[in-house]
Amino acid sequence: MESFLAIGLIIGKLAVVIAILFALPIPLTWIERKIAGHIQQRLGPMRVGWHGLLQPVADAIKLLVKEDHIPVEADRFLFTLAPIIALVPPFLVFVAIPIGDSITIFGTEITLYLADMNVGLLYILAVAGIEVYGVIFAGWASNSKYAVLGSLRTCAQMISYEIPMGFSVIGVVMLAHSMSLLDIVESQAGLWNVVTQPLGFFVFFVAGLAEAQRIPFDLPEAEGDLGAGYHTEYSGMRFSFFMISEYLIVVFLSALIVILFFGGWHGIPVIPLPPVVWFLLKLSFFIWVFMWLRFTFPRYRYDQLMSIGWKVLLPLSLANILISGVFMI
Amino acid sequence: MIARVAQRMSGWVGWVFFLDLFDGLSLTLSYMFSKTVTERYPDDEKWMPFPRYRGHHFLKSNAEGKINCVACELCARICPCRCITVVPHEDENGERHPRVFDIDLGRCLFCGLCEDACPADAIALGRHYEFCEYDNKALMVGRDALMAMPGKAGRGGEVVPARLSTEADVTVPITVGGEGADWWRNIRRR
Repeated sequence: MESFLAIGLIIGKLAVVIAILFALPIPLTWIERKIAGHIQQRLGPMRVGWHGLLQPVADAIKLLVKEDHIPVEADRFLFTLAPIIALVPPFLVFVAIPIGDSITIFGTEITLYLADMNVGLLYILAVAGIEVYGVIFAGWASNSKYAVLGSLRTCAQMISYEIPMGFSVIGVVMLAHSMSLLDIVESQAGLWNVVTQPLGFFVFFVAGLAEAQRIPFDLPEAEGDLGAGYHTEYSGMRFSFFMISEYLIVVFLSALIVILFFGGWHGIPVIPLPPVVWFLLKLSFFIWVFMWLRFTFPRYRYDQLMSIGWKVLLPLSLANILISGVFMI
Repeated sequence: MIARVAQRMSGWVGWVFFLDLFDGLSLTLSYMFSKTVTERYPDDEKWMPFPRYRGHHFLKSNAEGKINCVACELCARICPCRCITVVPHEDENGERHPRVFDIDLGRCLFCGLCEDACPADAIALGRHYEFCEYDNKALMVGRDALMAMPGKAGRGGEVVPARLSTEADVTVPITVGGEGADWWRNIRRR
């Protein structure tokens, strides 16, 4: 009976997480377009529903009924596989992301995470790395010069930025003495890591922007010079898979920033709010920051991207490890 | 010397920590919480044109309601796209008036030359601008329809509810030397 309950709980949580993750891009597109509009002193979508609230639904219907076109010279197997490879890792990542400690409903203690791995951080960084394969396959299989250029840029960008990203979290791991995200959050109960690791946070944030392929590092899908980069040849539902994956990566990076540097579900003691609410507030703040950045900056040039990655972020992340090491001793 | 070193240092620090980007961020943040400049045209509001606006043609008439036009055909002559057709007609008093005055709005380019050429102050381009049609035959406008068209805009620049028609409902009081709306009022510039 006990094990049945436990398995049922896990399956239930899994279903809830998957449902939320599939539904999440719908409000996010609306919010993103609204923010874009207001930053440019426009109104954004206004015509479908109240203040354009039903606009994502209309967009979803449009994407669903569009022709699912595969170019004649494309590699059909890889072309169909690529959107799925791009979509799965963001879902896998959320297995390890905790949104709270645990709550008690009807006498049953429910943990607000799917799995507490002792190498959670490593798992997340590794699984997030798989997403690149989707992008590379998409560009390669499309047999289009724009798509190939986009995926080549993705390769170089991911390799350059995964290194400072990995180094920047080492400081956090050193402070928490653990790679489990739960332990990392617990270690920040008194003081958030952003206070002790401002350099690490900065490097992680910038490298995260590049990993998410957001402006100012959206060279893989630069509309201006590459058509749309790796998803130039995609249409309909396959295209929307890439979009969903992109939004989920933004959510996942915001969640990771909150967990690693902003104390997870620990709030400011003066304002009493439930821990989950604190977490969601911080999460939405960082999602907003990502969107704010997107509509402020132009795109970096390719050589600038490389020099930022190798000449700025890598030395900074190494310095961060050194400084935290010195302070640990 | 020290100042130059400090300047170079601050330039280097600015490059490493992207300080110029924060300048841009603060600007977009202030934009985000400022008023929008969007005019929700077909849905909620629309804009009254200024007096100089060249919209739908109209034919003026004098105080007794007689048409000003003397059918001299100067407008038809000067029209660069030959869209005006005038057939003159002399009545029993010996006055010349147009029997037919057709304007093909589908060909008209709204240059206003007919208005400039008119010696009798009869034809002008008014404030009405919502006259799309599904059938281009409907864009042939005759004399009586032209006489019923609204005239020049008064002050202009007002934003009025979009359900009103510029043809009939909207009357803007004429004020001499009116300023109209300042479209830059919500846009902050530095």
